[in-house]
Amino acid sequence: MRFILLIVVMILLQGYSIRQTIYTTNTGTIHFSSEAPMELINATSKELKGAIDADKKTFAFRVRINSFEGFNSPLQKEHFNENYMETEKLPEALFSGKIIEDVNLSVNGSYSIRAKGVLIIHGVSQERIIKSEVEVKNGTMKVKSKFTVLLSDHNIPIPRVVKEKLANEIKVEIKAELLQK
Amino acid sequence: MSLRFFSEKRNYFLILFCCVAGVSRAQDIDLDKMLEEEQKKETQDKIHYTIATFKTTRLINGQSIENTAPGILDLKIQHRFGQLNAGLYELFGLDNASMRWGFDYGISPRLTVGFGRSTYQKQYDGFFKYKILRQSTGKTNMPVSMSLVGSAMVQTLKWTDPARENYFSSRLYYAYQLLVARKFSENTSLQLMPTVVHHNLVPLASDPNDIIAIGVGGRQKITKRVSVNFEYYYQLPQFKLSNTTNSLSFGFDIETGGHVFQLHVTNSPGMTERTFISENFGRWDKGDILFGFNISRVFSFKKRRK
Repeated sequence: MRFILLIVVMILLQGYSIRQTIYTTNTGTIHFSSEAPMELINATSKELKGAIDADKKTFAFRVRINSFEGFNSPLQKEHFNENYMETEKLPEALFSGKIIEDVNLSVNGSYSIRAKGVLIIHGVSQERIIKSEVEVKNGTMKVKSKFTVLLSDHNIPIPRVVKEKLANEIKVEIKAELLQK
Repeated sequence: MSLRFFSEKRNYFLILFCCVAGVSRAQDIDLDKMLEEEQKKETQDKIHYTIATFKTTRLINGQSIENTAPGILDLKIQHRFGQLNAGLYELFGLDNASMRWGFDYGISPRLTVGFGRSTYQKQYDGFFKYKILRQSTGKTNMPVSMSLVGSAMVQTLKWTDPARENYFSSRLYYAYQLLVARKFSENTSLQLMPTVVHHNLVPLASDPNDIIAIGVGGRQKITKRVSVNFEYYYQLPQFKLSNTTNSLSFGFDIETGGHVFQLHVTNSPGMTERTFISENFGRWDKGDILFGFNISRVFSFKKRRK
């Protein structure tokens, strides 16, 4: 009897645990630019993956490095993957953590939030707080954010010969529309 | 056993606790894990072509599996100094030079064409390189890349004996190569090049018109921007011109921010298939070693995407 009760309790708890509002996307846009004195480099990936748990206010984003297109030449893309990002060894960049503000993301509206988490680029983790704009509207969540990444923070050296062509401060822009799962 | 086990109250709570703990852990849907799984699935459904098997479109003297990207014009300047054993008088060969300049152009991701002019025998050459197979992982697993290279060479020296009846066709040479390459790891790539070189006119009646050679080449990266390359062509003894030797070269590929600079030592003064594969007379053991370099400058004819 007690055993059956236990099972019932377990099932109830399990049922409870499924109640989670998760928003996801596979087609977010992430763009970066390097504005050095001698060269401007732009690249974009439309394969940004993201997930946000509206109840727990946790989030995770990731993107495959070799999904970035653009650059000033195909050779530049090759060098980006081969020499700077070491894509074969370190194929992805990730950012995951928790939203600091106590906002209720299940209610429609626009929110300015700070996302606190660990940003992993080139295999190097950095604790970051990134400001974002979130707009919730009937089951969709639009996320916009602009931030910078320092190559030196992520152990990506700039060779002396390209010092004038590659900025240490890389500007990153993210736009994603997440749908409720 | 189980009945007695559950009748004990303490155990009952212990189990309940464990279950709840288990459930509450499952409740934390790990967003990171979720995305990772998604990514894995997607990766398996896509084809991932291997890139950068070699740093550039030439191994040393011969073609590598790499193609010039579509819309890119590549000006190549290849330079070979004289033989090292010429001694101090010729400053170990640096006084003499043989060069080839030419343009390669990428028509599509798979097709590259090019032409060039060599100082050696005032020769013009043209070639095409078509990629048949691309090494890939993911949805299609292809272990090697394969390309077909065809080239024609014409030397334009004045006829040695103008009194004789001379034919333009005697100036022509053709070469056909199949390149089979595999990038084994980030740092190591190997390539096999079965080759046929056709001479319309050969020096001796006993010489074959078709020279058959098997080439092997490879690269090993020693730093992120520098690799060591080698290239060897073995001519089948019954299909070679008399007194010729096999071409053997070693070199460095050095990447200098967008360009690749190649430095090498070789026993072949020629830079086209006909000259370095089938008409090579240099011998490493006699010190017939030449220092040389290839430089390239690329021009983009494709509109830059904003």
